[in-house]
Amino acid sequence: MRYAGIKQFLNERLPLEALDTHLRKPLPKHINLLFSLGSLAMFLLLLQAATGAFLAFYYSPSPEHAHNAVTYISEEVPFGAFVRGLHHWGASAMVIIVVLHLLRVVLYSSYKAPRELTWIFGVLLLLIVLGFGFTGYLLPWDEKAYWATVVGVEIASTAPGLGDFVAKVMRGGSEIGAVTLSRFYALHTIWLPWLAFGLVGVHLFFVRYYGSSGTPKNTPEEMKTGKPFYPHQVFEDVVGMLILFVILAAVALFVPVPLEDVADPTNADYDPRPEWYFLFLFQLLKYFQGPFEIIGTFVIPTVGMLLLLFLPFIDRSERAVLWKRPIALTVTSLCVVGIVVLTILGGTSKKLETADAALQETSQPTEQTQETAETEEIEEGEAVFDFQLTEEEIEGAKAVEE
Amino acid sequence: MEKKGRRSFLEITTAFIGGVLSLAAGIPLIGFAISPAFKKGESKWVDLGLADRLKNSRFKKVDYTFTAKDGWVKATKKRSVYVTDAGNGEWRVFSRICSHLGCLVRWDESKEAFLCPCHGAIFDKTGAVIAGPPPDPLQKLETKVEAGILYVKES
Repeated sequence: MRYAGIKQFLNERLPLEALDTHLRKPLPKHINLLFSLGSLAMFLLLLQAATGAFLAFYYSPSPEHAHNAVTYISEEVPFGAFVRGLHHWGASAMVIIVVLHLLRVVLYSSYKAPRELTWIFGVLLLLIVLGFGFTGYLLPWDEKAYWATVVGVEIASTAPGLGDFVAKVMRGGSEIGAVTLSRFYALHTIWLPWLAFGLVGVHLFFVRYYGSSGTPKNTPEEMKTGKPFYPHQVFEDVVGMLILFVILAAVALFVPVPLEDVADPTNADYDPRPEWYFLFLFQLLKYFQGPFEIIGTFVIPTVGMLLLLFLPFIDRSERAVLWKRPIALTVTSLCVVGIVVLTILGGTSKKLETADAALQETSQPTEQTQETAETEEIEEGEAVFDFQLTEEEIEGAKAVEE
Repeated sequence: MEKKGRRSFLEITTAFIGGVLSLAAGIPLIGFAISPAFKKGESKWVDLGLADRLKNSRFKKVDYTFTAKDGWVKATKKRSVYVTDAGNGEWRVFSRICSHLGCLVRWDESKEAFLCPCHGAIFDKTGAVIAGPPPDPLQKLETKVEAGILYVKES
């Protein structure tokens, strides 16, 4: 009785029945599990937002505090390692799911008219996801965070014309430090989430407005003769979400999230490697040397992104499954294989044995260095080339000069 | 009829899985956020100075510092107390934090009372509430004297 009363109260004030009818609209007849990937991406976005919002309770975006705060979360706060694990591995899952979702759309050429705008906003969301990844892994302020960001920002600096300006804006100055960390944190936790949810809103609006594309097997008559979105599709989606969550939770519980030593801008022995989803770009950069550097850092990524963004206007062929479109099949296969091979090559590329060994082979010690080595006993790990004067020594030197 | 039954099953199962997911993610997240409330504070003895120098039949304001773990930071905390000794070895050290809403009380020698600047609370020299809204007396800190040094227990 009470439930009926509440229902009536809400029905009188909100268009709940219209919403119910809308949610129960039939889907195309031919549809499969791949059509749950978008919902899984949405689920991951919400999970990332929730875990991120909670992680922020214990995080401080300053070089003095960030690493200690992350250590504190991982080692001392109850559920801290689990929550951080969900967020960290959730980011990787997000990249995988979003790329699979994109490939599903390519497979069934769902980006074709009238769904071009849905596609464009989807590609923009892919960029946002990569932006989350890039801004997110600076936050622990460990060696990986620091050096991957150094390289990332340097890549941006090679853009013609405004490159240097863009890099300075990204860093908040000429080098990575407190201002960089602060603005990456702001981007990661305020700007990108707002943008992401805004774009998701538009993307979802288009998805609902044009309806699910279904597979190309659907005849025009079959587009509205399938099962209703709610509860049938939603049921499949939540089962997928449950499976994904169980996998993520297991990984978060049993695979510790790496946290390297605190960022050290003078550590020449560190071999910077980005997160796995940027390894293809990392590897690509090795093939373009000297004046051709810009091809790897700017031309290929920019052209690639623009082609992806405007794919619906480039591929004007009839809608069909991928294997019935030889050109699309070839291009997609080449891109996927290329990215996978580059990722594997990047991940397995040999690291330098030691940076010092390379230095000794290529340069002779200076007279000053030899002198130091002969006269002072240097302990392992001590700063060998530290000739910096103390304030007293500077004062003494000034007094002698006078 | 059969179709409706299946739909209803799907709706209930969907809601159930949604609930399971919310709980599975929600419980650790809430636990993560509220865990400081269950953390027991570490108590430690902090020295206020030489007992002889602090001996005074009137209340003396003493500020002191000590280091304590504040999350991931080893922080220097500042505290302020009123100290007096009754002459028979009994020390009275009152926290200056008003038991009402946390403002710092001041000792008024002429009125022989602790006055709170916020909501008009007044405590007598034993820390008991004379007037105003506080529900409890001023907090009296545990003390000890060792090797002539007065210590208070910080928690």
